[in-house]
Amino acid sequence: MKVCDYCHSAVLRTDAGLQAVGTIAEVPDDVSPLQLGVRGRDGARGFELIGRVRWRYADGAWNEWLALFDDGSTGWLSESSGHYMLLRQIDPAIIRSPIVEQMRGNYDILPGTQATIDGLDYWANDVKTVSCVASEGELPFNSLGLSARSVDLMAADEHCASIQKAKGELVEAYAGRYVTLAQIGATGLRAFEDWPMPAYRA
Amino acid sequence: MTDAVTSPAPPSPPAPPPSSVRPVNCPNCGGTVNIRVAGTTVNVICEHCGSTLDATSPDLQVIAKADSALRRPQIALGSRAPLRGTTWEVVGYMERTDTEVSWGEYLLFNPYEGYAFLVDDGRRFSLGRLLDRLPKSGGLYGLAVDDTNFSPFGVPYGVQVTFVVGEFYWRVAVGEAVRETDYVTPGTMLACEDGQGERTWTRLDLLDWGEAESAFGIPNRRRNYDRPAPHEPSPYKARLFEAWVIGGIAAVTLFLVSGMAGSQQRIASANADVVLDGAEKTLVIKDVVLPPGNSRVAIDADASTLDNSWVDLDYSLTDQKTQDSVDSYGTAERYSGYDSDGSWSEGDPRPDVTLSSIPGGRYDLVVTLSAHKWTGASSYTPTASGDFFGGGGGQQSVPVTVTVDRGGIFGGNILLGLLVILAWPVIVLFQHLGFEKRRKAPITGSDDDDDSGDDE
Repeated sequence: MKVCDYCHSAVLRTDAGLQAVGTIAEVPDDVSPLQLGVRGRDGARGFELIGRVRWRYADGAWNEWLALFDDGSTGWLSESSGHYMLLRQIDPAIIRSPIVEQMRGNYDILPGTQATIDGLDYWANDVKTVSCVASEGELPFNSLGLSARSVDLMAADEHCASIQKAKGELVEAYAGRYVTLAQIGATGLRAFEDWPMPAYRA
Repeated sequence: MTDAVTSPAPPSPPAPPPSSVRPVNCPNCGGTVNIRVAGTTVNVICEHCGSTLDATSPDLQVIAKADSALRRPQIALGSRAPLRGTTWEVVGYMERTDTEVSWGEYLLFNPYEGYAFLVDDGRRFSLGRLLDRLPKSGGLYGLAVDDTNFSPFGVPYGVQVTFVVGEFYWRVAVGEAVRETDYVTPGTMLACEDGQGERTWTRLDLLDWGEAESAFGIPNRRRNYDRPAPHEPSPYKARLFEAWVIGGIAAVTLFLVSGMAGSQQRIASANADVVLDGAEKTLVIKDVVLPPGNSRVAIDADASTLDNSWVDLDYSLTDQKTQDSVDSYGTAERYSGYDSDGSWSEGDPRPDVTLSSIPGGRYDLVVTLSAHKWTGASSYTPTASGDFFGGGGGQQSVPVTVTVDRGGIFGGNILLGLLVILAWPVIVLFQHLGFEKRRKAPITGSDDDDDSGDDE
């Protein structure tokens, strides 16, 4: 899906070609240092932010930025109250945890529930019901009217993961690590009046 | 010619960067409320009327209406200052209590760094960041974060919000309660908060005295260590190390100097044979000369041939001019025998007597000696002993040598010097232990918590 920068019309690319699916709400102005076009790197691989989804839940909101890597693969830079998670999609089948089944069956999930991914232990620290309120740029799915359940997981090191299930869709899972803007060498960040812009080494 | 017509317009200057602060009007009182973290802020407490506003609703719905004049935090909302290399802006302030003590917490924000907490316990400030990882178990009963071990401090306790103003990224409200558990290492606290189905871990680094005050331009707090914070490093620890090193050097120096200056000098010696169980014998050593000033006099007796017998020695050192005398006594003894554990022997056949501070002058030393046999040992064989001394069955006698030395430093003086030298290290040690005791003491209530920070 691509959201037009000017008219906020959403254009969906399907097998039948391009199809206008509606008008997407403009992302409200927020004090995020990220914007479309920001570049960063994950180790040796560079990426550029090409899309954003804004999710809202009862007690807050956060951004998920679609990162297009130089090798053509994609990942997500999740931004929540100043914390950043750099995530890539993984196969939910490799997660050893009751969470996946609980998500499929729409059962309650308690914070503290354990999960093992690739031999590393994670614990659920945040469970919430979210809905997409706005988006911009390019996205790999139709964000219009999307609502989902989302579980964030933490580990004893910088690793983290996220398991989501949208209504009527399959369970999707993402794994990665917490990063700072300095660690990903972010460039092209938004400037704010009277705030010194950090100069990270790209 | 065409140049003049088609010259492009000068490039327009780039638009100035937007402000991160968005002023809006409080729907309750109409006052201006500055939203400093649009998009992330969830609740705003109007600094004019105290109403709680919902920043997630487009028109700032009033969640809780209030019309009370608010107290202002010591560091004003909107203040910016660098702390530990990052510029932070104060966006919110709340006060919390565990019902015994209260403290203030400033919510700090930087667009590129996220959030931090500046915790003010009324004495000192700590800078807190939320952890992005879970602690592992570490140490005996503690936790570890990035190779730093934290020990548990006290028991979990309830914490309640008592006052709040400004903006927050969660649904903050007066009365909001969490359960807190603290873990500490000198200089840093790890605070675990459980509440509303969520658990957070915050790492709090104690700031130096005056660090936050001078950054935000508020009066410096008065240094005192009466009620230390749980994660406060002992200010006496560095001094303690210093005091013991200096004390150790001084003590070694004392021993070296006393060893050099205190060499003894032999001034008299005499021998006597004392008959065992016979009459008392008197030995007079005349003309013991002591130099002007006070001297230490050591009288050593040597009766090393004693065997299951003892010699009583009475000394009297008399000034020839004034006839003042100093008396003392000693016992030379040696016992041995066999019992179920094998052979044994005890007693000192070479007793020393030390007289301190004897004024200069000419003295006579009168030694009265009497020797006695001991017959308590069952295995005692008198003939063997008799043969050894060659007494031929007659009266046995014991040879005794008495020597007089002067000089040397009296052990008591060295001890006194040591006490003086070690006084400082010991005082610092007790200061350190007292601090640690106060630091670990269960927190007790005090009525000056809210205003103790407002010096002058």
